[in-house]
Amino acid sequence: MRLSASAIALVVGLLVNAGAQASELPQRWVSAGGALSEWVTALGGESKLVGVDTTSQHPESLKALPSIGYQRQLSAEGILSLSPQILVGTEEMGPPPVLAQIRNAGVKVELFSAEPDLPVLQGNLQHLGKLLGSEAKAAELFSDYQQQLDQQKNWVTKAQSAQKAPGVLLLLGHAGGKPLIAGKDTAADWMLQQAGGHNLATHKGYKPFSVESLAGLNPEVLVFADRALTGDAARAALFKENPILASTPAAKNGRVYELDPTLLVGGLGPRLPQSLVKLSAGFYPSQAKTAP
Amino acid sequence: MTTLVKPRTLFIGLSLLCVLAIWLSLALGPVSLPLMDTLRAALRLMGVPIETQGLEQAELILGQIRLPRTLLGLAVGGVLALSGVAMQGLFRNPLADPGLVGVSSGAALGAAIAIVGGSFFGGLPDAFGPYLLSLCAFLGGLGVTALVYRLGRRNGQTNVATMLLAGIALTALASSAVGLFTYLADDATLRTLTFWNLGSLNGASYSRLWPLLLVSAGVALWLPRRAKALNALLLGESEASHLGIDVEGLKRELVFCTALGVGAAVAAAGMIGFVGLVVPHLVRLLAGPDHRVLLPASVLAGASLLLFADLVARLALAPAELPIGIVTAFIGAPFFLYLLLRGRA
Repeated sequence: MRLSASAIALVVGLLVNAGAQASELPQRWVSAGGALSEWVTALGGESKLVGVDTTSQHPESLKALPSIGYQRQLSAEGILSLSPQILVGTEEMGPPPVLAQIRNAGVKVELFSAEPDLPVLQGNLQHLGKLLGSEAKAAELFSDYQQQLDQQKNWVTKAQSAQKAPGVLLLLGHAGGKPLIAGKDTAADWMLQQAGGHNLATHKGYKPFSVESLAGLNPEVLVFADRALTGDAARAALFKENPILASTPAAKNGRVYELDPTLLVGGLGPRLPQSLVKLSAGFYPSQAKTAP
Repeated sequence: MTTLVKPRTLFIGLSLLCVLAIWLSLALGPVSLPLMDTLRAALRLMGVPIETQGLEQAELILGQIRLPRTLLGLAVGGVLALSGVAMQGLFRNPLADPGLVGVSSGAALGAAIAIVGGSFFGGLPDAFGPYLLSLCAFLGGLGVTALVYRLGRRNGQTNVATMLLAGIALTALASSAVGLFTYLADDATLRTLTFWNLGSLNGASYSRLWPLLLVSAGVALWLPRRAKALNALLLGESEASHLGIDVEGLKRELVFCTALGVGAAVAAAGMIGFVGLVVPHLVRLLAGPDHRVLLPASVLAGASLLLFADLVARLALAPAELPIGIVTAFIGAPFFLYLLLRGRA
């Protein structure tokens, strides 16, 4: 009993000595949301992460952390077992009763918007920066990001003066089978636009298409995001499962490009500008040498 | 059928099993609490005044997370198993499960409407919003079951075979409607719908618990009173009515209790399969088909099974969590196959 009392005294003493600034900021983080975890890492907070959800796949090193499961199906006790001081996630995080239980246990729960929108990202980064004690870094990251997207926009405008915006379809699939087509109001649609493509799909959300109507749209460019395979294996699977795609202008001209599907969830992430550059180089091959 | 176990032995065994399941459900979780802390926190929750020094975390986890979850598991497991017995008795078929009268598919339809159409109801007051899903699932289950029952009635008689077929037809209809909602759903609501269909005791809270506890206690007290009538029904409908049983009234009660119980369970925890089918089988295998034993024993066995399944669900992938429907089906399906093959041999 006396031993534990002195141990408590020791811990309290250490905490007080650690200084006001550090003890106010949360030191043990759990992050539920792919893009958020990437930003936390980019802001130098990776060492503070003690758990991430299944959508946090980048950087690779995050996969070694304990997984708290899917962001919409969190477990209160599971998260508390990591003794976090803060849980960050997008508004998709849930279910709400579990978040309430986690809050009741004295863990700070911070929600961020996943909307693909620059002002939203700015707010998110400022908030994260404050919580991580790296506000300057957050401001710097954001202005870089904004600059990259501005450059991207200028480049696309210039490219479009030389070449019409190509008609694009984005196929989200699993090992090539039954791909979903990205329509309006999706992160994928936003990305296609930023890269200067014209999304041929006019429905809302991600929907399955009959392969016939797919080919009928005559896409000049196909972008595929495969959840199971990458690279040539994914490309081969896509054409093997949907042979009719081979008759599209995109396939005939070899304009089929890959996109990392993890970019499509959880809002604007740090890897986005780079992928946009790659995509737009594919959309405007004649301008590709001057890609931003 | 010879019984393996005497009823008395069975009840003692199942009660011990249930107490063990309750204790493990309170004592084990991703957060490892010292045994003494768990004990002291449990005593405090029962109102024994003990000093709280250093007990805050244990008390919070026990009182706010594990206890409501355990109670939810007990009620859901018990009521699902009980409804399974009622349905197998009503249809005089050991393959019957509560889904046959449409309560599960109706609840799924209600849930799909609530999840996918949730934004449509966006103007509802906040206090009501979180309960929309449960309420829709409950009403959906009750509504479809009432319809199945109505369709099975002709000239004041309920034809069980017609009811069975009507149940199959309405289940198919409801499934296609759920499919339509699935198609309309966006990515996020789709995941919610998928997880709801797998069931979970996660996030149990007292405010959602009380309605279910009341309903399941009511059903658990009421149905065993019909044990003799159910036994008579095993002989056939006309035989039962010659024995002085009000067969029509019995059918109505069985369907009503099932719709109420399963509807409330599904509303609180989502779809949890196989408990209603497998547990009555298991008990029948051990103690024979006498409903006086079968009904109360199934409550205990169903509650225990669900608590053990939930332990697997919360510990297997900790700190993440498995949907409990996966665990019960994983245990239930092989067991069911075993029963089938055993019968053939």
